[in-house]
Amino acid sequence: MDKKAIVYINQFFGQVGGEEAADHPPEIKEGAVGAAQALAAEFAGDITHTVICGDNFMSSNQEEATARILEMLEDIDFDIFFAGPAFQAGRYGNACGAIGKAVKEEFAVPVISSMNEENPGGEMFKKDIYIFPGGRSGAKMREDAKKMAEFGNEILTSEGPFPADEYGFYKRGIRHQYFRPDEKTAAERALDMLLKKMKGEEYTSELPIPEVDRVDIAPAIEDLSQVKVALVSSGGIVPVGNPDRIQSASATRWGKYNIAGMDRLENRASEGFKTIHAGFDPAAADEDPNRVVPVDALRKFEEEGRIGKLHDEFYVTVGTGTTVGEAARMGQEIAEDLKDAGVQAVILTST
Amino acid sequence: MKLELGNFPVKEIEFGEQTAYQDGTLTINKEEALSVVYEDDHIIDADLKIVEPGDEVRLVPVKEAIEPRYREGGGPVFPGVTGELMQAGEGQTKALKDMSVLVVGKHWGGFQDGLIDMAGEGAKYTYFSRLKNVVLVADTDEEFEKREQQKKNRALRWAGMRLSEYLGRAVKDLEPEEVQELELPPIADRICELEDLPGVVLVLQPQSQMEEDGYNDLSYGWDTNHMLPTLMHPNEVLDGAMISGSFMPCSSKWSTYDFQNFPLIRKLYEEHGETLNFLGVIMSNLNVSLEEKERSAQFVAQIASTLGAEGAIVAEEGYGNPDADYTACLVALEEAGIDTVGVSNEATGRDGTSQPLVAMDPKADALVSTGNVSELIELPPMETVIGELEALARDGLSGGWEDDEELGPSVREDGSIIMENNAMFCGDGVTGWSTKTMKEF
Repeated sequence: MDKKAIVYINQFFGQVGGEEAADHPPEIKEGAVGAAQALAAEFAGDITHTVICGDNFMSSNQEEATARILEMLEDIDFDIFFAGPAFQAGRYGNACGAIGKAVKEEFAVPVISSMNEENPGGEMFKKDIYIFPGGRSGAKMREDAKKMAEFGNEILTSEGPFPADEYGFYKRGIRHQYFRPDEKTAAERALDMLLKKMKGEEYTSELPIPEVDRVDIAPAIEDLSQVKVALVSSGGIVPVGNPDRIQSASATRWGKYNIAGMDRLENRASEGFKTIHAGFDPAAADEDPNRVVPVDALRKFEEEGRIGKLHDEFYVTVGTGTTVGEAARMGQEIAEDLKDAGVQAVILTST
Repeated sequence: MKLELGNFPVKEIEFGEQTAYQDGTLTINKEEALSVVYEDDHIIDADLKIVEPGDEVRLVPVKEAIEPRYREGGGPVFPGVTGELMQAGEGQTKALKDMSVLVVGKHWGGFQDGLIDMAGEGAKYTYFSRLKNVVLVADTDEEFEKREQQKKNRALRWAGMRLSEYLGRAVKDLEPEEVQELELPPIADRICELEDLPGVVLVLQPQSQMEEDGYNDLSYGWDTNHMLPTLMHPNEVLDGAMISGSFMPCSSKWSTYDFQNFPLIRKLYEEHGETLNFLGVIMSNLNVSLEEKERSAQFVAQIASTLGAEGAIVAEEGYGNPDADYTACLVALEEAGIDTVGVSNEATGRDGTSQPLVAMDPKADALVSTGNVSELIELPPMETVIGELEALARDGLSGGWEDDEELGPSVREDGSIIMENNAMFCGDGVTGWSTKTMKEF
């Protein structure tokens, strides 16, 4: 096959080094370097270049790293882009997704990756690029690389269509009509499904309705006077420097910030707190961040003895554009932290 | 109720001296046939064409499809519509098979009209490219709706039905090649015989969302907007009790031909006595206000429960707003303890990422999906166009547009087209034809 591929891998799989080399800036090398050789073994075309970038460099300087890599690729002729496999490594998965998405948008070539189902990068980027379910660690390198390469061969040589259930990549929420090769009519399919359903046998709905994961409202707390209360918000209130680099939209990160001894959150002008939320006009929140995270009011309640204590830290992320999957993960992480800190009640503020 | 359907397979259609059927050949006296079309003064111009599968022909704007039939004794094929009100579904009806009468506007189309390609890539998108078709292409003096996007198409649709009855009379005195007996005895009489088989109903939601008369599907001539769900014998539907309306985006539409041949009913008949006990058709409708939607769903679940149904299939003629009626009906049946399967199309957008149905509920856990109304379809020019190709772009057909920043106009100078599946004539085959499904990509 006369097709050219470029592979993206991190510093570890590019044999630059481990965690100590995670700040390695992006570089491009000719041929299939390091783990890219696992792809080369199965890819029917030619892997002409390998891009290597440190995971930290990418996650700390995503925009810059992406821009540098796109520039490196500008004058190279290629038909397909592979990123990973990234296994369960979260930063690496995010890097593969981010660079993959950018390459697809810039060069309009198919982009294929592989990530373990626990890797948050899968949930984040499956809509943008083809991501195959992969193993937890590099022990599955050959297997995962093979899946990526084989699909690459298919997508470059066949006209498609490429349904997710046939090829095995994560479903992307992209639904198109499809002529059944067996020409089984809707009437036949409806009858088959009904007979199976009535008999209690397994069947597959052609339009699965997403399950809504509803959480029951907790019972009311009768007496708050002995209770430790925490403030948690999706309103993006962070210290002015945004030390945890929480994203302004489609957030994957959350932060917790100490408010011990503070009567109120100082505002942006006083170098205190501001909002980084991209989904609403920040003027009111920047002027008085207590409007979103009401430390001032809770202090008053504390004074009056209506609550036992305001927890020393508040928790925050950004709610706009954030996927349900990411929000649930962050919620679980925050809840564990709250439990460890002995917090008994939470006031959740949104915007 | 027992219906004997006498089938006359049509292998060839030609124009000739006398309108007659012989050895699989239907000969049509064009002049006489057109005189039947012109019985309505509103028809100002009409012609007949014959098209067959594989012909390099594009038909647009297509308004209706009808199977030509003759009712033994001479009664109307469509009681309450083309003649007096009488009981359909009983007795003998003769049908010209493997063909249809297609009604095409000579110039003007509308939201509810569609397109058929008889050959090439486009042919796979509609069932009617597989049939031999007598095409009535005509114009009317219905000035009031000439430039309206929503058209009643009354003169043309009724002309199509008259023409179909005229062609059906060709087999009046002939013996059919094959007779299909469609019989379901009264439900109470089946108790012993079929006691081990689960009772199943088919729930139909024909399009009835226009408040003004003249657009909705009719049941014995009665506007389905003005009815509550009722129990019908499946034979009635197959024998002309229901006719198509003139409202819904075309790929979602059920033509009169679809009602006459309803694959879901045929399939349930096949299974009757084998795997299930086919209790009948609950004819429901699609409504505008929420209370009307809920009332219909409640009636459907009540009738199904009263009949002792253990299973139900629900089919929806339309998408968007009526998805609320569809989902409400599926949920009401499930809540009544009846195992339910739904059949509909989806609207996931051109890029496939939109929510498939306007209303969704996890209780609707067994759905058959027959296509995406917004799928983009690009087709090369055809040698011949019957009707007016420009109608696709000019007249507000649900799948066409005059111009688009990215895609340009639906109809290009060279005669090639780009459109949404929405405009494929009855393309999503929700009545049971569809070999399409939906997948994740």
